[in-house]
Amino acid sequence: MYFKIGIILAVMVIAYALAKWRRLSVELSIFTSAIAGGLVGAIFGNPPFNQLARHLVEGSFTYLDVILIFSTATIFMAIVSESGSVNYVVRIIIKYFYNKRIIALLLLMIIILIPGALTGAGSVSLLVVGAPVALALNYLGIPKRKVAAILFIVAGLSAAAPPVNIWAMILCAGTAIPYVGFELPLGIPVLLLGSFTVLLLGWKKEGKMTLKEALKEIPEVPPRMRWWRVLLPFLVFFGLVAMYRIWPFSTPILGLPLEFTISALIAFLISPKKINILILSRDTIKKLLPLLATMVVVGMLQQIMTATGVRGLLSFAVISTPLILLFISLAFIIPVSEGILTYGGAAVIGIPLVWYFDSIGLHATVVMAGLSLLWPLGDGLPPTALIGRLSVMVSEYKESYWTFLKSTWIPWIVITIVGILMVVFSAKLSFLVQWSM
Amino acid sequence: MSHEWKIKSIIIILIIFIMIAGGIPLYKHRHFNITIVAGPGVTKVVKLSEYCKSLKGTMADTNVFILEGKKEGGKALIMANTHSNEPASLLTALIFVENAIVEKGTLIIIPQFNNSGGRNTRPGDGYPLYFEIQTDWGKKKFRMGNREASPLDQWPDPDVYIHYPDRQLLSFIDIRNTNRTWPGRPDGPLMERVCYAAMEIMRSEKVDIAIDLHGAETMFPVTNCIVAPEKSMRIATLTSLTVKAMEGFENHVEPSPEGFRGLSHREIGDYSDTMPFLLEAPVPFLDQPTGPKTMDLLLNGKDPFLLSLSKQGKLFVPYDETGWPMRKRVGQHCSVILELFRQFSRKFSDKAIIVRNVPRYAEVVKNGVGHYYHDPKKADKKRIYYN
Repeated sequence: MYFKIGIILAVMVIAYALAKWRRLSVELSIFTSAIAGGLVGAIFGNPPFNQLARHLVEGSFTYLDVILIFSTATIFMAIVSESGSVNYVVRIIIKYFYNKRIIALLLLMIIILIPGALTGAGSVSLLVVGAPVALALNYLGIPKRKVAAILFIVAGLSAAAPPVNIWAMILCAGTAIPYVGFELPLGIPVLLLGSFTVLLLGWKKEGKMTLKEALKEIPEVPPRMRWWRVLLPFLVFFGLVAMYRIWPFSTPILGLPLEFTISALIAFLISPKKINILILSRDTIKKLLPLLATMVVVGMLQQIMTATGVRGLLSFAVISTPLILLFISLAFIIPVSEGILTYGGAAVIGIPLVWYFDSIGLHATVVMAGLSLLWPLGDGLPPTALIGRLSVMVSEYKESYWTFLKSTWIPWIVITIVGILMVVFSAKLSFLVQWSM
Repeated sequence: MSHEWKIKSIIIILIIFIMIAGGIPLYKHRHFNITIVAGPGVTKVVKLSEYCKSLKGTMADTNVFILEGKKEGGKALIMANTHSNEPASLLTALIFVENAIVEKGTLIIIPQFNNSGGRNTRPGDGYPLYFEIQTDWGKKKFRMGNREASPLDQWPDPDVYIHYPDRQLLSFIDIRNTNRTWPGRPDGPLMERVCYAAMEIMRSEKVDIAIDLHGAETMFPVTNCIVAPEKSMRIATLTSLTVKAMEGFENHVEPSPEGFRGLSHREIGDYSDTMPFLLEAPVPFLDQPTGPKTMDLLLNGKDPFLLSLSKQGKLFVPYDETGWPMRKRVGQHCSVILELFRQFSRKFSDKAIIVRNVPRYAEVVKNGVGHYYHDPKKADKKRIYYN
């Protein structure tokens, strides 16, 4: 079995490489890899050839919810931006905090952390507040490359931040451990690492723009724009999220896609500027299409990998690694699993890891918190690179993706070290869980 | 037509073809019904919606088989397919439905507790859609379901699930997991209503013991065991010791954690007078580090990766070249259920539950699971049910 699955894995890798060599997009390359893996698997009998189409269709639905959230959140933010709200907010931040750099940076970090912490998705942070924060950081004299780097790291941390951490929730659901006691083990490292990142990457003012020039540079806002027009759509969104938290048993469950849609409608209705919502939605979806397509084909890839045994082989290889080597290799395994499988990585690699670590006396909750810091890093890695690509998109960074990724190296290493140390010393850090409860 | 449009048209046709070819099997799976032959002990079959009206007409509604004894005694409820990707539970429940004769007391069986989950698949996990059990008269076909209810029946999910009534935060997906939505409420999300209906059975029928049948990964510490809260602990312990001594298989006892809400073994005990037990049998198919997810792996539980991990001491159950065949898992469930009845009847003789004509572990291992299913073609049509 090892040999057959090894061949399938090799074919999938070669198919991906060939597709990239032929300059196909990431999405088509992943799709080619999934088809090639499925066909070779079918030759070996798994999956049966007549089931191949079913596996592809079924797999394409794996991330349907995420796709809906991405689409609605991006349209919401596009309307907010088109109405002039983004420029209005940026103008205010620059006006009042231009000369108080540390406060400005920390404030902007908190703004990015909140939506992701509430929804568990760093992408939501970027889609909702990414654009205004990126502009504000630009005007604070931070080059777009570093802006994208800040957004990527902090948005990733926002997804790991309490109260909602989807990796930890997937792990808890799969290991039958209650999702409680994560506030301090996640909250403290997220705040410290987030502050470290914004201060490190944003400390140095590289542009020569003065406050006056910066304010002149920011596009004019419609004359009727007021604070309430900026805040109301966000208040509606966070209000809908908070309503379920406060009155969970009497609030109808709307789901994030509908919550974003309602907020988008509010933003549209109160916009001081006339917006053609159909054209705006069409253009937004067109921009978002590569990302949505990636989610569809990653689901297919995941399904084919499982049906052929490739996923099991990778999981087996991880679990069989000797302990010390395993601790060190977490730095690679966890981000790479996220880069390939997104949240699926938590199920495939994370669940067996947590069981194994738990069985050797480590503290499962702190282990999960530590691993949760490593997973967001993988959102910058191909083939999916979800948060990385969104960071580049909202910061309007046009140069090489790898140059952007390279500028994250210091926070990346620090986060990796913190995450691994939390796993290794989880038993000693268990007091954080006690204090959270 | 330009060259670009020709290519686009071919791609669109190809995608439509894949969607149809892949979609039809999924549609058929959702609407495939399993045939159940009600055995001689079945005295009544009702719908779960009789205990929670709002379930009527939904995919969550399911058959409830009632087996009343000639003599009055205690009452037991067996629930299977709470997680529909743990099929040893369903196969065990059907052995009881098709064979059990109740001498004393009453047996209530819900073979497909999460009926919606049983009609759902697990995107990304590459499961087979069906599995077949060899019987004395041919092959009996079953749907392979999912752990959670179908989003076609309960959607959207919230960003986080807040458990009723304890307000514990759970993963958003657990709102469709009928082992996280206990004790439920009549006007909550669909799966909370399913659990509420079962609670109503327990409360209105004054059920003494409830058994929730499950399966778990070999790498999961809580596997091959009986999970019980404080009030059920004595009977669970005696059962565990007895099956080990008399029938030679391990089935240890795990305490139900007080801080983890929504589980049957916790909430049933806390919200009714019923004593809950949750039985776990190992399911190698569910482990992450396995080869392809095939019907063979599901039925025989043989996998070279798990064998290697077993040698490294990384599994929580004994595992060798023989794997964990379905007959062993179902046999364990049968014996543990019968032993729970026996231990309960010994402690509460006025509420005894006496069931006969159900095989124990050694018999199921020897004869196979399918030996105990009846041929629907030869059965009285009035005794056939579809679910």
